[in-house]
Amino acid sequence: MARTIHIQAIALGCALVGAAGCQGNRSELPPVHLIQNMDFQQRFDAQEVNEFFQAVDCANAHNPHQCEGRAARLPVAGTVAVGQLHDDEELYRGRGPDGRLLDRLPAAIKLSTELMARGEERYNIYCQPCHDYTGGGQGVATLRGGGFSVAPKNLNDPQIRAMPLGHFFDVITNGKGTMMPYAAQIPAQDRWAIAVWVRTLQVARTPEEAK
Amino acid sequence: MPAIFPRWTNNIPLAVAVLGPFALAGLVGFVWYYFSPKYTDVGYRPIQPVPFSHKLHAGDMGMDCRYCHNTVERAAVAAVPPAATCMNCHSLVKTDSPRLKLVRDSFETGETIPWVRVHQLPDFAFFDHRPHLAAGVGCSTCHGRIDQMTIVEMAQPLSMGWCLDCHRDPEPNLRPVDQITNMAWDPATDGKAYDAAKDPKRKRDVNPPEHCSGCHR
Repeated sequence: MARTIHIQAIALGCALVGAAGCQGNRSELPPVHLIQNMDFQQRFDAQEVNEFFQAVDCANAHNPHQCEGRAARLPVAGTVAVGQLHDDEELYRGRGPDGRLLDRLPAAIKLSTELMARGEERYNIYCQPCHDYTGGGQGVATLRGGGFSVAPKNLNDPQIRAMPLGHFFDVITNGKGTMMPYAAQIPAQDRWAIAVWVRTLQVARTPEEAK
Repeated sequence: MPAIFPRWTNNIPLAVAVLGPFALAGLVGFVWYYFSPKYTDVGYRPIQPVPFSHKLHAGDMGMDCRYCHNTVERAAVAAVPPAATCMNCHSLVKTDSPRLKLVRDSFETGETIPWVRVHQLPDFAFFDHRPHLAAGVGCSTCHGRIDQMTIVEMAQPLSMGWCLDCHRDPEPNLRPVDQITNMAWDPATDGKAYDAAKDPKRKRDVNPPEHCSGCHR
């Protein structure tokens, strides 16, 4: 009799633990949709793969790495979407009519406290990991995993401080040396805001007598 | 002639009357518990082709979410970054790590890294990150403490009932818009001290839709 009670108690304990302990259990298996309810439809989300286009891509591909079948198609070569011509040389390339880098903001952007605040925020997102919060070039990414083989530039160097504002826009846009281009990651307006913030950091760290 | 039903069958109606309600309640409880997305979805953590650690990058190094998921403020989706984003640093650090081989190959050949999607809504729900960020709903509110996850897992059920809980009463889940990527923001303490209605930086009231076409179109 005592034994049955034991077994019953163990069974009850297992049931309770099973019921209470499994919620949020970690699993590598995809979630089970018990009632499908049209959860999966004939439409595609961003960055999903599309089998139809995969067949098309593989048939046209010159190298096997290009059979990806992205559901989101790349623009047809040689075409420009509305509003993406980017023909404002100053805003998108940082160059004036003489083809030289600007040492001022392009006409499309006005200097304001909002622009500087935006620049600070964006700098701290995209530049700070390598160049650190002050522009010193000792960001957290350079301090880990054995460090960078080529150290990021110290933005407060007198040489770099002497560069025109457009230089910083140009480097962010096209990269320089071992720094990769950030044009795809940061919109042009934000790149200018960051350039303004870089200049702000430089001015803030310039000794009085050098000003 | 013996009786067709033995004597013990007289107990069946009594047993059904006594045990039936328990069985029914048990069935309801079983479906309520085990069919819920809290059970089926939370904790899903697929193995990714590259063992990228959010704990290292977003947690220990404190990188902002938007360094990689840079479309989140401008598009409906927080895009998985291209290999070029990884190579911004990994062309200079850990350049021969075997764990990063797939990233390097992808960068060179243009081949896609077959990342496994973790957070997936049903195809009839149209979610857009932009209004949520603009309203001051933080990343960690829905995605959990990503900065503490070596392997990313689903922290919230992302079910319709869960969405509506917040759409009906968003106030406890709001924070200043410059704190959206702050993983350490604690709704229990920081959230209590913050009143969205009194934030001068907010241009308009938060008014999340509760009608069907807010999310289903």
